[in-house]
Amino acid sequence: MLTSFQPYLKPFDDLASSFAARELVKKIEEHDKYPFGPFFSEVLDKAYEVGFLGIVLSEEFGGIGQGIGALCVILDKICQADSSLGGIIFTNALSQEIMHSAGEKQVLKKIFTKAVSACEFLVAYPSFCNPGQMVKLPEAKQTGKDFLLTGTLDYLVLGGIASRALVPAKLGDKAGYSFFLVDLSKKGIEKSEPIFSLGLHSCPAVDVVFKSVKAQLIGEEGKGSIYFDEASKKMHVAAGAMNTGIMKGSFNEALAYSKERLQGGCEIINWSEVSMILSNMLVKANVADMCVTQACQAIDQNSKEWGKNCVAAALHIHELACDAVTDGIQVLGGNGYMKDYGQEKRYRDARQIQALLGTAPMKKIAMIREAAGLDDTCAQV
Amino acid sequence: MLSCSEVSTRLSQYPKFEDTMLSLQYAPKMPKAMVMETKQVIAIARQFNDEVARPLALALDRKTHEDPDYLPWDLVEKANKRGFYSMWIPKIFGGKGYNLPSMSYFSEEVGSVCLGIMNVIGVHYLGVAGLLTSYNTPLIKRVLKEVIQGEKNGKPCLVALAITEPGAGTDVEEMDLIDKGKITCLAKRVKGGYIVNGRKIFISMGHVSTWTALYGYTDLKNASETTVGMMMKQGMKGFTLGSHENKMGQRVCPASELIFEDCFVPDEQVIVDAQMTRKYTKKPLKEINMRYMDYALSATRAGVGAFGVGAARGAFEHALKFANETELNGKLLINHQWAQCMLAEMYKNVMVGRLAYIEANYANSLRGAYKLLQLKPMYYYQKYMPQAYFDKVISPFLERESATWLLRKMAYDWHSLADDHCCSGWASLAKFTGTDIGVRNCQMALELMGQAGLRQDRGVEKILRDAKLVQIYEGTNQLNRLNLFKCLIAPAYPQAKVFEE
Repeated sequence: MLTSFQPYLKPFDDLASSFAARELVKKIEEHDKYPFGPFFSEVLDKAYEVGFLGIVLSEEFGGIGQGIGALCVILDKICQADSSLGGIIFTNALSQEIMHSAGEKQVLKKIFTKAVSACEFLVAYPSFCNPGQMVKLPEAKQTGKDFLLTGTLDYLVLGGIASRALVPAKLGDKAGYSFFLVDLSKKGIEKSEPIFSLGLHSCPAVDVVFKSVKAQLIGEEGKGSIYFDEASKKMHVAAGAMNTGIMKGSFNEALAYSKERLQGGCEIINWSEVSMILSNMLVKANVADMCVTQACQAIDQNSKEWGKNCVAAALHIHELACDAVTDGIQVLGGNGYMKDYGQEKRYRDARQIQALLGTAPMKKIAMIREAAGLDDTCAQV
Repeated sequence: MLSCSEVSTRLSQYPKFEDTMLSLQYAPKMPKAMVMETKQVIAIARQFNDEVARPLALALDRKTHEDPDYLPWDLVEKANKRGFYSMWIPKIFGGKGYNLPSMSYFSEEVGSVCLGIMNVIGVHYLGVAGLLTSYNTPLIKRVLKEVIQGEKNGKPCLVALAITEPGAGTDVEEMDLIDKGKITCLAKRVKGGYIVNGRKIFISMGHVSTWTALYGYTDLKNASETTVGMMMKQGMKGFTLGSHENKMGQRVCPASELIFEDCFVPDEQVIVDAQMTRKYTKKPLKEINMRYMDYALSATRAGVGAFGVGAARGAFEHALKFANETELNGKLLINHQWAQCMLAEMYKNVMVGRLAYIEANYANSLRGAYKLLQLKPMYYYQKYMPQAYFDKVISPFLERESATWLLRKMAYDWHSLADDHCCSGWASLAKFTGTDIGVRNCQMALELMGQAGLRQDRGVEKILRDAKLVQIYEGTNQLNRLNLFKCLIAPAYPQAKVFEE
């Protein structure tokens, strides 16, 4: 739908469609086997070559300099096929957006203009949390001009494959948290085996232990939450676009199946209860599509309170998606539960995506407190 | 005050008292010893959870991802050693004879830790139910004797049930649909038995079961009247095992493909067919076949409801533990009001789901498959008479054709359609209520736990994967909603037609 309002996004839509058809669709089950099968490095390399890892990154830093609309169009199409690659694109874009919010132009230039491979272009980030709500973060200690990181960071997405990581950490006794850039090849870093997760199997995460690891401060001390909030408001829409793509994929597979599968002598689409389920899925996918479109336009036009609209849109889309993908399996019955079809993966991936950027209830609480003009730290129990 | 006849008239109005207030009606009829026995069963399940299920659940799930060909022989041996495969086999057939409703509580307990492990135990009783409710006593005795012996000699003998076909899932569970279904499993009558050709899929524990209760049809266009039930033993000529499915969850319990190619089944292994049915009833074959199906499913669907409640409970317990250990904004999550409300909602779901399967069990105890065994005299007789008495005195009677005739006459010919509807409708209600809340609670637990809930090593994501399957097997929840309508609503509205769009 976004391409109807913003026709200049059509080439990105076509590019993502053809990429998904060429590189993803026929190998969904194979790619999903990770960490119990090989990682799809070739696909990642090709995604890097076509520019998917730097969509929102400015051209001066080695990206393709597009806005949130292009990112959403690409994520939608990619996630219709296989959202693991969507998770990688999302996480890298989030890292870039946080560094951009922190005003680190030199760092962005240094990392991304010099990268010559996908791994060098990736910056790992714990994209399933809001660092401000985490009780346990690594601790940073300043020694001269340098900072040393110590402690554990759970669920660092892309931590096993990226060259660098953007790490939220506490800095001494200072309030809040700060961001640090870490070279993941440095001594003193212990990574776990890839974490076996619910969904997005090929967008892997690891737990990391830092032992006095040299790190570069990103932005100013203690201002991590400001950078995260600014970047995440926009990125909520991108997460919404991922689940919108999943809903569309689920609906398309369910519809095609319902036109072929027979029950009681006729195609199951002719049974009105199945039609009702399909219709509900379509309603949800269309509503989600409209939410993403409107949210992207609000961002582009810098509308008043676009940030709140983006969070609301994403929360709504994730709820719709978790329902729709459950129905998507149901239409296929036993077949939908098997890995030969795409529905079971969407059922898992939709929930995984819902958890991006922190838990849904906390996002809701934060949203209403912001709307009411209340201090976030004083919420009553 | 109303007169007795006025009360009776009022209570006969829709919704009828006898179809709805089942616990109220059954409570005074329930043998008291059932309560103590059920407590024992729950304690046994909890011990199994602590010693076997909990330590193994996540490791086995991981193992099945590493090795998709894994089959749970070790687990089956553990369950066999603990006597789980004969616990709910009536003593007249050599089993331990625990009351049948108690299996639902067991299913919830073990299911709250791992639905896959529970199915490794529980689906055996789906096969046993298919066999028992045929009331073909000589064949029941023969097969179950092997199950009992398998427990004694440490060589597990399990029973599976094979109905689903590649082109027909819902169709084969509903006689109003089956004749139009894409059915392929042909049982051709030949001298001395049947020759079977066809494939069955999604057969839980098919690879691991010694016996399989198989349903074929002598006329694929008239399957509702030509159903043939047969007991197939692994190793029979023409019976081979295909692959087993790569499922999202419940991976420790294989879903098998069974292939039959010119497989001869002797008459001694035929559970039920039209010829046998005609010996004890003149009612339409389609009606009797549906009742036979309903008789078994009314028991097993209530059990699947308990599986769903188990998933809901597992998700709740994980979420509660997480909330009790995790700080958010400087306070334990369990002390945030919104989290307390979420946990209360999850707790409520568990209780409502449990009430539903308990009520369905009461329906079966009052008016269905459990009725005979749970009449007080019969229950106590079975419970306290020594096993030797059943082996020496009762067992020979079971070899007689008259035993099969009498039990079938009682179960199907004398059994009212209203009783059948009550049990079947309530079983469907329990099934879709329990399994829907199973998925619902997992979703809530994930929302509450956020990133932590996504990890396989935390347990909840596995429950979410496992729980989805129970919304599908034993009839999709859509089929079960339609069955509830057919059984508990439509009878009061004669113009209502089901499965006739």
